[in-house]
Amino acid sequence: MRLSSMRYLVGQGFKSIWKNRMMSFASFCIILVSLLMVGLSALASLNLSKIINGIEDKSEAIVVIKDGITEEEKTALTKEITLIPNVNELKFYSKEEAWKSMVEDMPKDEQDLFKYADDNPLPDTFKMTVVDIKKMSETTAQISSMKNVDSVKSPTSFTDMLISIQRVVTIISAAIIIALVLVCLIIISNTTRASVFTRRKEINIMKYVGATNTFIKIPFFIEGMIVGIIAAACALFLTQFAYEGVYKIFSTDFSLWAVLGMQNLYSFDSLFKIVAVSYAVAGALIGAIGTSISTGKHLKV
Amino acid sequence: MVEFKDVSVTYTSGVDALNKVNLKINDGDFAFVVGPSGAGKSTLIKLILKEINATSGVVTVNGFNLSKLRRGKVPKLRRTIGVVFQDFRLIPTMTVYENIAFVLRVIDAPAKYIRSRVPYVISLVGLTEKSKAYPTELSGGEQQRVALARALVNDPKLIIADEPTGNIDPALSYEIVELLKGINECGTTILMVTHEHDIVRHFGGRIININKGVISFDEVVGGKGK
Repeated sequence: MRLSSMRYLVGQGFKSIWKNRMMSFASFCIILVSLLMVGLSALASLNLSKIINGIEDKSEAIVVIKDGITEEEKTALTKEITLIPNVNELKFYSKEEAWKSMVEDMPKDEQDLFKYADDNPLPDTFKMTVVDIKKMSETTAQISSMKNVDSVKSPTSFTDMLISIQRVVTIISAAIIIALVLVCLIIISNTTRASVFTRRKEINIMKYVGATNTFIKIPFFIEGMIVGIIAAACALFLTQFAYEGVYKIFSTDFSLWAVLGMQNLYSFDSLFKIVAVSYAVAGALIGAIGTSISTGKHLKV
Repeated sequence: MVEFKDVSVTYTSGVDALNKVNLKINDGDFAFVVGPSGAGKSTLIKLILKEINATSGVVTVNGFNLSKLRRGKVPKLRRTIGVVFQDFRLIPTMTVYENIAFVLRVIDAPAKYIRSRVPYVISLVGLTEKSKAYPTELSGGEQQRVALARALVNDPKLIIADEPTGNIDPALSYEIVELLKGINECGTTILMVTHEHDIVRHFGGRIININKGVISFDEVVGGKGK
């Protein structure tokens, strides 16, 4: 194809956006809304799984050591526990430390009552985090059976609940995203079908004078792509605005932080590139594919 | 050259539109195709443009055997044919110049050629002053002249005019046929479908009469005009 023809076709694509501005605007709105819905639900699901992972990381099991064991026995036990592959981090937490932090956690006037207590009833413990939380109960059972271990306290039921929440969240958000993408494609191909329909005369004449199908499709293709990319740019801007609004609420409200496991959300800056690229690609693809589907139907003259 | 050999067309609805038609139109011919509506005139044109395929028989147009022509090659065939429609089919959002240049653009002609060729064909149909006008600003006769220029612009071997005078004043109809005659004198084959017998009688020439799917009359008749 000649360069002058290519230039002409691209020019036609731009022109017909303006000529059919009502239709272009409709396509623009639909792509914009679709991208926003899909994008925001993807971002929400991304952050939810980060929060859940964060809670997982923070959830620790406590290994209670039998009272009165020697320093050598303690070292041996430490070694034995760290040998288990699923154990991530093991930190010794002496009875003195435990006592101190317990007293500090109490209200000021009650603290004095404990200042003079001689006897420390608390045991020495290990604080332990695991690599894979799904194997938590297995690991705790293994440790419980060790000599010199009194008991293991793990938040098993809590972690089980988290795991099932995560599974449900993943399934639901995936289903929402798939449904939205399908709905978008259907709506867009119908909108563009209408816009192609208004230009069927032009297409018809092109067919009669011997234009190839590719030649007829290119302006529509370019038009759809441009509309898609413009919609993507607007969607990116709105997403950033919405995301940063929500992000601000989460990062300033500490009670929410506590609930969410003190875990930071992704900042929009860290996601900007990937969101921008996916929006642009998705917008251009939806626009171009949508128009191609509907032009194909009118080319069988 | 257009050649039909034992061509029959039966539509899926069961209607026999053409029944074993044999017809040969040589290069440089001017032929009127007449006949009542529903006789098969439109089917004939659709076959030549390969909008439809013959149920049986062989259609050859400008050297293309249409029953063997693949879908992807249809544009190549159509570039050798110019078509004029009863309802003009100009693109309302384009000026006269653009409507004609459009044809050359879609067949990927060089920009330089477009710039010299389009004004030339516009001058041939006598519309140089209106080249920047939009179709809605023109009379029916003028619109049909634009359509004629459009059919002419890529120098086709064959021009098919499907009731070109059907939508314009009788007085202007003669003007259109005169133009077609002039084009024919330059060597282009013309096939004009009409049911205006006055025009046919006036100009004369080869007359092909189709009735109920068969050719009932095919002879050269002297015109009364001039």
